[in-house]
Amino acid sequence: MSSHYEAPIRKPLIIGDKNYHDVTVDVAAPVEGRANKQWWIAFSIALAAFLWGVACVSYTVGTGIGTWGSNKTIGWAWDITNFVWWVGIGHAGTLISAVLLLFRQKWRMAINRSAEAMTIFSVIQAAMFPVFHMGRPWLAYWVMPIPNQFGSLWVNFNSPLLWDVFAISTYLSVSLVFWWTGLLPDFAMLRDRAITPFTKKVYSILSFGWSGRAKDWQRFEEVSLVLAGLATPLVLSVHTIVSFDFATSVIPGWHTTILPPYFVAGAIFSGFAMVNTLLIIMRKLSNLEAYITIQHIELMNIIIMITGSIVGIAYITELFVAWYSGVEYEQYAFLNRATGPYWWSYALMMTCNVISPQVMWFKKIRTSIYVSFVISIVVNIGMWFERFVIIVTSLHRDYLPSSWTMFQPTFVDAGFFIGTIGFFFVLFLLYSRSFPVIAQAEVKSIMKTSSETYKKLREQGGHDNHSHSENNHH
Amino acid sequence: MKALSKIALLAVASASLTACFNKSEPNYQYMPNMYEPVPYETYQESAAFPGGKEGQLPAKGSIPRGFTPYEYENSTEGLELAKANLKSPLAPEAIDLERGKQLFTIYCAICHGDKGDGKGNLVKREKFLGVPNYKDRAVTEGSIFHVITYGLNSMGSHANQLSQEERWQVTHYVMKLRSEL
Repeated sequence: MSSHYEAPIRKPLIIGDKNYHDVTVDVAAPVEGRANKQWWIAFSIALAAFLWGVACVSYTVGTGIGTWGSNKTIGWAWDITNFVWWVGIGHAGTLISAVLLLFRQKWRMAINRSAEAMTIFSVIQAAMFPVFHMGRPWLAYWVMPIPNQFGSLWVNFNSPLLWDVFAISTYLSVSLVFWWTGLLPDFAMLRDRAITPFTKKVYSILSFGWSGRAKDWQRFEEVSLVLAGLATPLVLSVHTIVSFDFATSVIPGWHTTILPPYFVAGAIFSGFAMVNTLLIIMRKLSNLEAYITIQHIELMNIIIMITGSIVGIAYITELFVAWYSGVEYEQYAFLNRATGPYWWSYALMMTCNVISPQVMWFKKIRTSIYVSFVISIVVNIGMWFERFVIIVTSLHRDYLPSSWTMFQPTFVDAGFFIGTIGFFFVLFLLYSRSFPVIAQAEVKSIMKTSSETYKKLREQGGHDNHSHSENNHH
Repeated sequence: MKALSKIALLAVASASLTACFNKSEPNYQYMPNMYEPVPYETYQESAAFPGGKEGQLPAKGSIPRGFTPYEYENSTEGLELAKANLKSPLAPEAIDLERGKQLFTIYCAICHGDKGDGKGNLVKREKFLGVPNYKDRAVTEGSIFHVITYGLNSMGSHANQLSQEERWQVTHYVMKLRSEL
């Protein structure tokens, strides 16, 4: 500590007079306590939505895809819209835990656990759409290149939909491993604090016998760094592959090379918005305001602003290239988006995605929890409409005017989407009561550099005798 | 010991997964979406038809395209008339004795013998007797065709197995065999 130099410009990441034990107690409190009435209400609503989704999916699988509003022209609509939306939301978790780790961002430590949980839960939601939008989902295993009795009939590796299978399954498994690895010291903490034999047993199993030796920690750090290094190209490639579903087609409005980075930027944009939505609630309900500070929210708002601006540039680029291309189909596709029968969805997308993040330029707004919360929801609405606009408006008016049509979702389309939202919150609510929602081991590692207590001590030490004597101070 | 129990578990699992196949019955199917036909298949049974059979008889007197009705009736007079008047419609270059031989070997030789001498396999094994030698009968191509078409005494009709053209090919081959006896 004595040799530590921390720029005085940096604001504390842990506020309040917290020591190591306080962190443990604060993180363990929601797990060790009992759920209150509000939690049960929220959980019941989420569970009801989830069960309604199960009913809608069962109805779809039992009756057929014709229960949806998709038609012969618009074969993809809400299903793929929701799929891309959920995958996009998932991306922020990996970005926070992997990319910010590579960039040594200490502020990620209080939010990475929940962001990764959000990734995993939202990828689970996303993964349901590729299966249940199939006409014959019971043959979904045919997408796997498994040796078989059809003369070893294989899959065609040229389809981005197959790449989706590999991308999503790899993404989910790597995210899960990354998340769980980080959870081991925290589960061990809960195990060691457990009072009842049942919780003792549960957290003993979950923590894989973590004992926190120096060698374990050394390898833990190495694994985290390697996984972060792997997860970063993964997070970029996964949404790139998702964008290939559209970009590799010949549909005007889909066939653009800008789609991969633009989708990734949109994914980070919507994902961070979702993290913000969840954490603003969680910090309040789980009493974690000392760890998820206004600075965290501000930094996430800045990322939302940056990625929102990238998305805005992408929109403008698309419009410019459509005009510049001289391809009348391309030009019409964008004219149709802006002035066609779905103009309102385009307008909504433009307002939510391009204008709303720009308010974050104002410090007063980006440090306001209420405004951040509202904007974070607005952004996710906008990003849902972005995918809807890209998919539906490009399909409903393309080359042959005789195939022009409209799309009208049914209650089953909506039910499936509501069901995934319900399922997401079921998982997230269960997570928030049984998992350490803050990576306490990591937060403890920045205690002496970035907590308010130590920053004050250092300041005093520096003024008193210029010898950085905060180590003696206890 | 642990490995052994795992192997045992695997064996039990694989046995239980494969043991349910009964060889005297069709096997289980996974999601037979397009396994059973929606349209009527030839020879299929169906309650939709009189008699429950898919193969219904055509209307009497109807003539399918590419078919010439046989004008001689199935009686002794018909046979006599055919013997006297019926001539092969095949042009000399259309006569294919090789095919005639093949068809004869398949449909006729089992009783009549490869040479047409009445010493077919069934006769040799004395399953039944009374198959004449072609040499002993005064047959013409007309009578041969007539008999293949309608049958005679113990012999059944072969009009089901052989088309008109094939019957004429066999007829020519029978005439050739008869000349060699």
